[in-house]
Amino acid sequence: MDRTLTLLGLESSCDDTAAAVVRGRPGGAGEILSSVVSGQAELHADFGGVVPEIAARAHAERLDLCVERALEEAGLSLADVDAIAVTAGPGLIGGVVSGVMCAKGLAAGAGLPLIGVNHLSGHALTPRLTDGLAYPYLMLLVSGGHCQFLAVEGPDSFRRLGGTIDDAPGEAFDKVAKMLALGYPGGPAVEREAAAGDAARFAFPRPLLDRPDCDFSFSGLKTAVRRARDRIVAEKGGLTVQDRADLCAGFQQAVAEVVAEKTRRACRLFAQAHGPRTLAVAGGVAANAVLRAALTGAAEGEGFGFLAPPLRLCTDNGAMIAWAGLEQLGLRGPDDMALGARPRWPLDAAAAAMLGSGRKGAKA
Amino acid sequence: MPPEPLLLAFDTSAAHCAAALLCGERLLAARTEPMARGQAERLLPLLEEVLAEGGAGWPDLAGLGVCIGPGNFTGVRISVATARGLSLSLGRPAIGVSRLEALAFGLPGPVLALVDARQERLYAQLFGAGESAPRMTDADTLAAEAWPEGLTVTGAGAAALAARLGARAAGESDAPAPEALARLALARLGQPAPRPAPLYLRPADAALPSEKPPAILP
Repeated sequence: MDRTLTLLGLESSCDDTAAAVVRGRPGGAGEILSSVVSGQAELHADFGGVVPEIAARAHAERLDLCVERALEEAGLSLADVDAIAVTAGPGLIGGVVSGVMCAKGLAAGAGLPLIGVNHLSGHALTPRLTDGLAYPYLMLLVSGGHCQFLAVEGPDSFRRLGGTIDDAPGEAFDKVAKMLALGYPGGPAVEREAAAGDAARFAFPRPLLDRPDCDFSFSGLKTAVRRARDRIVAEKGGLTVQDRADLCAGFQQAVAEVVAEKTRRACRLFAQAHGPRTLAVAGGVAANAVLRAALTGAAEGEGFGFLAPPLRLCTDNGAMIAWAGLEQLGLRGPDDMALGARPRWPLDAAAAAMLGSGRKGAKA
Repeated sequence: MPPEPLLLAFDTSAAHCAAALLCGERLLAARTEPMARGQAERLLPLLEEVLAEGGAGWPDLAGLGVCIGPGNFTGVRISVATARGLSLSLGRPAIGVSRLEALAFGLPGPVLALVDARQERLYAQLFGAGESAPRMTDADTLAAEAWPEGLTVTGAGAAALAARLGARAAGESDAPAPEALARLALARLGQPAPRPAPLYLRPADAALPSEKPPAILP
């Protein structure tokens, strides 16, 4: 039953339009035959963050082009593909809908099975695609839109151990960059500035360290950076290059320390059930060298291995969606043509909602 | 004689899900289902039902017609993304058709077609004599402009505007018949067609940062 499958994966839940072809065996190894990512950073740069309608407009006109290129680079046609996987949520709904509809058109026309994949499960299963990591393992998703610890116990079995109660760290990096007149995306810019800064100059808070759980909050930290900036601007009429570097360094240090400490706690919580295993990371924020060093140290201190997939597979891509579809297809079968797009779709349905816990349910 | 080409056209640019299937000039099936939401879930099943009603399957199609708006942004993208996916998998062209053009289809010219653009605005385009580009405007602006003799106004608010212009009104609905979309697309089958792209006519809702970044001192 575990025969080799070839899946096409589509991703369009934020500001990257992506398609990829992956071949592999469920439970075995995977091979990426092609992975095309068409980023939109230049479209959103003036706004200092992703504008949903601008993103949706770009996705709708780029998805089929990405699919075409992915097939071409893999040297395959749709006739060589066994199934089509697509991100069906959570994410910016305009992009997710475009992806789901494009995938349905592809599947209907080619007579192929379709499987809607949770974007977060794509990130969470990436260490199996890249390194064949065995279940169970501990996952930290840390990106512009998400921040959570997951115990990954199977292709469709995730237990959330903690997460952010407000902003995601990537979002905080973007907002800090914006308030300090740095470019977008903010992560690389803040990291670059911070390298020349004094992290000890500003005493920024370490949010939620007083709570014993694995949850995060980054909203207050962002406000603290803004207040410090405003004090300097009021005094000098602007920021010196050194002021800016120090603000960046202090902010980055605070994020790294909080994430490292919460990671230690998540490792302990995970180890209670499974013993020490491996901590894997995903998401664009995992590219930050200071944060990565802190995470490595925290994991190793708890007796865990540390695994970070290559950056191009840490950020949004189609290969992770194809792979998640490949691992999940045998478990729950394909979706039908009434597949919908879900702006909110928590991976761990049993966990209490942390974000958007209103009438519409938890966000992620 | 080659068989008559089979063409499937569809539209989710407003509160409906609509599709029509043509075999050459012959209409095999047409459906319009009003719905405020759920078009993304309904569209493909509806298309498969329309195909089945016409005794056809996906591989039988010679081409696709898709309504590119103007209208509800997400609704337009639902159809356009589907059409582009189908076009790629079937290896058949997808032909984008304007909702305004479909509204004017079959009416004696000149025709002013109107689509509700919300917030007291209208999407408008003149067809026939002195044909204009589609644009977003409002009834007062249109009423103040000069129009050709024998004008027919159709679509959202057509009766009221026609009365102000001394023109003839033909229909208040701004939802085109899917058959009109299909016939317009069929007429273009075989001509080189760019991939269908939404006709938005309204810029994306995006505010530039209100706060000025701090001055960076040397």
